[in-house]
Amino acid sequence: MHIPDGILPAAVNAAGYAAAAATTWHSLHQIERKQNPQEGIPKASLLTAAFFVASWIHIPIPPTSVHLVLNGLMGAVLGYYAFPAILVGLFFQAVMFQHGGLTTLGINAIVMGVPALLSHHIFRLRRVTGIKNRAWLAGLAFVSGAVAVGLSALGSLALIITTIPGGLSVEAEQASAYALAVAHLPLMVIEGAFTALVALFLQRVRPELLEG
Amino acid sequence: MRLGLDDYAYLDSPLHRWEPRCKLIGLMALVFAFSQVQNLGLLPPMLVMAALLLAMSKLPIAFWLSRLRAPGAFLLIMVVLLPVISGVTIIGRVGPLAVRLEGCVQAGLLSAKFVAIVTTGLVLFGTAPFLTSVKAMRALGLPSLLADMTLFSYRYIHVIGQDLETMEIAMRLRGLRQHRLGNRVLTVLSSLAGSILVRSYERSERVHKAMLLRGYGRAPRVRCETRIGGGDILGLILALSAAAGLVVLDMLHQGSGG
Repeated sequence: MHIPDGILPAAVNAAGYAAAAATTWHSLHQIERKQNPQEGIPKASLLTAAFFVASWIHIPIPPTSVHLVLNGLMGAVLGYYAFPAILVGLFFQAVMFQHGGLTTLGINAIVMGVPALLSHHIFRLRRVTGIKNRAWLAGLAFVSGAVAVGLSALGSLALIITTIPGGLSVEAEQASAYALAVAHLPLMVIEGAFTALVALFLQRVRPELLEG
Repeated sequence: MRLGLDDYAYLDSPLHRWEPRCKLIGLMALVFAFSQVQNLGLLPPMLVMAALLLAMSKLPIAFWLSRLRAPGAFLLIMVVLLPVISGVTIIGRVGPLAVRLEGCVQAGLLSAKFVAIVTTGLVLFGTAPFLTSVKAMRALGLPSLLADMTLFSYRYIHVIGQDLETMEIAMRLRGLRQHRLGNRVLTVLSSLAGSILVRSYERSERVHKAMLLRGYGRAPRVRCETRIGGGDILGLILALSAAAGLVVLDMLHQGSGG
């Protein structure tokens, strides 16, 4: 799901950096509205590292296994820190493992981070509605996780398909879009279920982590 | 768990000695210039520049190859797919699949750009300690919150990664077999992820208190301690000129309809 270097046109990469800078500014602005934004940095940073590490957990889907993206859960737990956290995580991925890339860092951050912010707002419905039962928590967490990974997959695939040099026929574009959308549905379900289970675990063990 | 980024950060080479801010600006300019190349004729000079940087950096070839391997899988898929799905000029057939000229050209272009960009990025971040690179980014205007989050996260990824390894070994010793997806496996793995988050959160509370005791929040901003010399400026001018040259030549080529 991380778009590597060399695939996208330079204009798209530049637009990605501009959009990521604007979204980072918006997130930092929201964070600084809190009383003591500096207090949140160690927590957000260690949780960023924890999410980075948790994404290495492999979920078995025979004959292979997948690793989860967890951007929905990041939105639910980190709130507005989710976008800078994803930016930092993607930077690590690019420089340490060459997953994603330096030129595509901005566009990858948008593709992963904006759905995370959306998940944050979905998850906030819990506080807005005041409903505290476990089913509502699990439902919101499921939707947050599934929607975030679904939108990220859709975003990155749309970017790759529409910017493939030389162009695809309309039929080929439609067929590949449908095929890839269908292929990602099970991943959305797994990511949603996993997010719901982690949210239920956190509510039992450390409920303040869900106050994002 | 080893991330290995700093393994060769203390070698002695012109790239290691290059002042980090100049290196960051110069090599990032090159990376972006590489990313916008569309002219096949510019691929050889682009690859030569990347190879020269790698040779000058003294980074081992095995290290470079190991870094190309993981993302290479995605590239391989594109290189195999593009010739059969992209373009209109059919130049041959492989079984039922038509091989198209435009797809082959683009596959070559993407591969070369990918190798050149990854190589330059590796030289950029592999020839200085990660802390130095982040300080340089901070000195060039990276927001302090992002710089702090980058350094903290980098410091603790190793620690938390070790936690995960220990917990996975403990789970296996207690009989968990992760071969098939089911409710139990998903529940156990979600508890594992949750435990990682809870441990990290609790550790962050202790870290924050320790940092407050050491004056966190009142200390002066960390500044880049390195000085820029004539050689650093010369290197920067060379890198920027090479990047500008590539961009201009590519634009001229596109303007001439080539």
